[in-house]
Amino acid sequence: MSGASSAAADAPAVLADGRGLSGAMLWRLFVGQCLVLALHLAWMPAWFAGVAVVVAAYRYRQLRRDAPRAGLLLRLAAVGALVAALTSEYGSLGEMRALIGLLLGVYLLKLLETHDRRDARVVVAIGLVATGVAFLHGQGLPLALAAVIALAWQLQLLAWLSGARSRRQAWAEAGWLLGLSAPLMVALFLVVPRLPPLWHMPETSRAATGLTDRVSPGDIAELSRSDARAFRAEFRGEAPPPGERYWRVYTLSHFDGVGWSRVSPSQLAATLEQPLSRFVREGRASAWAAQGEARYDYELLLEPDSRPWRPSLGTPLRAGEPQRFLADGTLAGREALSSRALLDLESSGAAPAFADPAGTRWFRLLPADTNPRTRELARRLWRHSDGDPRRYLRAVLARFGEAPYRYTLSPPRLTGQHRVDDFLFDSRAGYCSHYASATAVMARMAGIPARLVAGFLGGERHPDGHFTVRDYDAHAWVEVWLDGAWQRLDPTAAIAPERIERGASAVTEGREAFLADAPFSPLNYRGIGWLNEMRLEWERLEYRWQRGVVDYRGAARERLMARLTETLAQMAAALVALGPWRLLGLAALALTALAGAALGWRVGRQWRLGRHDELRRLAAFQAWLRRRGYPLRPGESPAAHLRRVAQDMDTAAPALEAAAEALERWLYALLDAPERREASRRLHAALRRARRDWRRAKRRVIVKGQTASTRHEHP
Amino acid sequence: MSAGAGMSRRRPGAARRFRAWQRNWWHRLAAPLGAPLPQRRLFLLPTRFGLGWAALVVLLMLLGINYQNSLIHALAFWLFALGVAVLLRAWRNLLGVRLSLRLPAEAFAGGEARLGVIAQSRRPRTALQVRCDDERVRIDVEKGRGEGELRVPTPSRGVWRVPTLCLESRWPLGLVRALAWQAHEHELVIWPQPLGEAETRRADGGPGREEEDFAGLRRAEPGDGPARLAWKQWSRTGTLAAKAFEAPPHDDVWLDYADGSGDPERRLSWLCARVLIHHREGERFGLRLPDRVLAPGQGAAHRRAALDALARCRPAADGEGAP
Repeated sequence: MSGASSAAADAPAVLADGRGLSGAMLWRLFVGQCLVLALHLAWMPAWFAGVAVVVAAYRYRQLRRDAPRAGLLLRLAAVGALVAALTSEYGSLGEMRALIGLLLGVYLLKLLETHDRRDARVVVAIGLVATGVAFLHGQGLPLALAAVIALAWQLQLLAWLSGARSRRQAWAEAGWLLGLSAPLMVALFLVVPRLPPLWHMPETSRAATGLTDRVSPGDIAELSRSDARAFRAEFRGEAPPPGERYWRVYTLSHFDGVGWSRVSPSQLAATLEQPLSRFVREGRASAWAAQGEARYDYELLLEPDSRPWRPSLGTPLRAGEPQRFLADGTLAGREALSSRALLDLESSGAAPAFADPAGTRWFRLLPADTNPRTRELARRLWRHSDGDPRRYLRAVLARFGEAPYRYTLSPPRLTGQHRVDDFLFDSRAGYCSHYASATAVMARMAGIPARLVAGFLGGERHPDGHFTVRDYDAHAWVEVWLDGAWQRLDPTAAIAPERIERGASAVTEGREAFLADAPFSPLNYRGIGWLNEMRLEWERLEYRWQRGVVDYRGAARERLMARLTETLAQMAAALVALGPWRLLGLAALALTALAGAALGWRVGRQWRLGRHDELRRLAAFQAWLRRRGYPLRPGESPAAHLRRVAQDMDTAAPALEAAAEALERWLYALLDAPERREASRRLHAALRRARRDWRRAKRRVIVKGQTASTRHEHP
Repeated sequence: MSAGAGMSRRRPGAARRFRAWQRNWWHRLAAPLGAPLPQRRLFLLPTRFGLGWAALVVLLMLLGINYQNSLIHALAFWLFALGVAVLLRAWRNLLGVRLSLRLPAEAFAGGEARLGVIAQSRRPRTALQVRCDDERVRIDVEKGRGEGELRVPTPSRGVWRVPTLCLESRWPLGLVRALAWQAHEHELVIWPQPLGEAETRRADGGPGREEEDFAGLRRAEPGDGPARLAWKQWSRTGTLAAKAFEAPPHDDVWLDYADGSGDPERRLSWLCARVLIHHREGERFGLRLPDRVLAPGQGAAHRRAALDALARCRPAADGEGAP
């Protein structure tokens, strides 16, 4: 059984006719397809696996039964069905996923018409493109590792197609090639400058589920329970305490009686009939904030999103790259991110201290005839607080801290006209946006300019210091204009202070379905110590990967290149400082060492080869004899040569005779492997002995001659 | 008209010079057979798949740039680096290979010559291809040595200069073709195609002679015909014996070109078949050709000499052949 399978594994790539692909090769191609498909399957519809299996089964049946090849009609029908399936899945073929699906489908269907080497190479080439396209889904570490496996498999396939004879040979070659090319790849990756996009490509739409630019409390499915990552941050210097991690993203200033919505700068400019430049300016620094000392300096690693939002801890002051600074103290990118990106940012950590050019009136607007009960309550509280805005707001928050109000992630649905009334007097249950909305409405009712802020609160701190902010960290709070500055007001702190201090998971532990959108998330098991540690370790690795490799471009690349050139310059400077003579000496030393190493390697190799190669050894011995006046005569066999020399040299004769006999035995006798080794050993030994005896004889002659001459002189 | 004549007069010279130049150039490119392949005679040419690979790298690069995707960049760089590594591996696969040619002992026109190709090198080599005209053979060097056999058709008689051999390999990925030409001076003498047995007999004027001289008795063996059994001796001694005969010794046979009929090639074919028959039957024969005469002789060496003479024979136009 194992013999049969290993024979199949080593079956040649082409049939005996030298053209058609063998069944074993088709199987290998199919495995390659499965590996590439596996990269995509997490993001693509599962029926692609079915397509692969059906195509392979058809091909198998065709090979076994010797059936005719798939005709043009069948192939066209298959492509037509693929296009129809993709259109029904995605709506149109222009969608990026549909295009990827088309590529994958063609890749799988290509097996139907794969008959010779050329077809097989085309399949491999499409497979490589599909491997690259898989990175459009994501660029995580597991995907990258899986892609390396797929790449190695494709290389191995190409080695088979170029004539590998065994699995071992094919894999060895693939390994060699990968190993040899990896350093060059790394060098190119580090050095080659990255170009900006050349033209627009279709994109997958993607949006962080937690963040919206419209908050209408009471509608369902607002609060994200997804554990998807929104962004990560690493602080240089001081990191904020848990209660200060308010990441501002949007301000929502328009209330229509039901919900709050964001008014973009261009809408605001159009509504208020003012120039757009009053509301947004592009640059590396905020045009509105005083350029004082920033409190926090950090680097964000942003996830791709179809909206160009950028979070900032408090008011953004300066950015590493040009951004759009908005007059409400938030930040927007110049374009949406199609892949992860790094952003250096400095910010104040507090709400903006400058007035919004929209004017305070804009932030007091309320629809006239909504929420009458709330209006009544506001009037009463305002009277009780003697017209002091601070006392009034404190009273509002204090009211939320009292009994009937509770914090819940699954509040009852509200559908009425007067949502705030319904919440404050009937349901009395909700989460951050319910309370923030009610607070802002009540502030506006008392004539205090107020707006909602949508963003994130908190983030998980990793042992190495970086923070991960996830979709479920999305939060809404209120900013009110008091004493010439915007003040942050978080009503959630009154009703559920643990949400502020310990994060979103704290408020619901054991009570409600936290992470209902991600039932298998490892975050569900953070109670188990070692599992949580493993998760954190993995996330740390992922973060390093994303920051170091995936986001290696732009500023990161420039930094590394600058460091590299600096190091080189320093080394050059150090060398120059040595002075010309020492430099020359050093170079000579290095050259000598290099030459010595090369020579040593060569000699070592010759010695190693000579020890095992009888013919080389014999040739060396013959050369040695020639130098001593006994060259090989034309037409003389090596053994005859040795015997002739033996007649002249009586001292070395036995060894030479033995060598001749061993040589003849080694050359001509029918020996099995151990006997052959033994003969070879004898030959080597005899040659060595012959040399030794020869030298001794010469020495003796010289010594004899010397003593004879001295004797001569003596008398 | 005159210009055309001038052209036609000039053209052969130019063509010859061009051919000479080409041969010269070719020889400069080719490495001598039998010596380790030097690096300056080794060429790397991209294959069609190699060009496709380059297009693939460009495509992935564009994808990486337009989606600002680092890992697609990395994959494109890796494929590029793989292409470079393939250059190195393909070059090393061919560098230093020692190729030698073993000519077949005999080759007749109209058949095929089996050229033995031996590749030797210290390192193992994979998927070498030796090409001679349109024939190719694959050789793998393992444990220092690899062998293959080129079957080259030999359409016509004569001295055939074995063309320059081409040693190439697409190992490891089929992206590039490592290529070297191997110049050599090997010549193969292709003997004429022997005429069919029946035609030869007819031309010879009857079947071969029978053994008819009585040579004595020998012990009978199963299978001896009843006519050959010595019945008389059996009745006398009781031992079954068989009569043995032997062919009479005869004069040397002269195979003469002039005795044949038909065009020169047919005559040579006929002579070739006769040489083979006489040799098989162990007879002495001599050969008389328009341009040389071979004294009667016998044995393998004589056969070889006779066949070589036939192969090299240059029959002049009719009538002028006789010396």
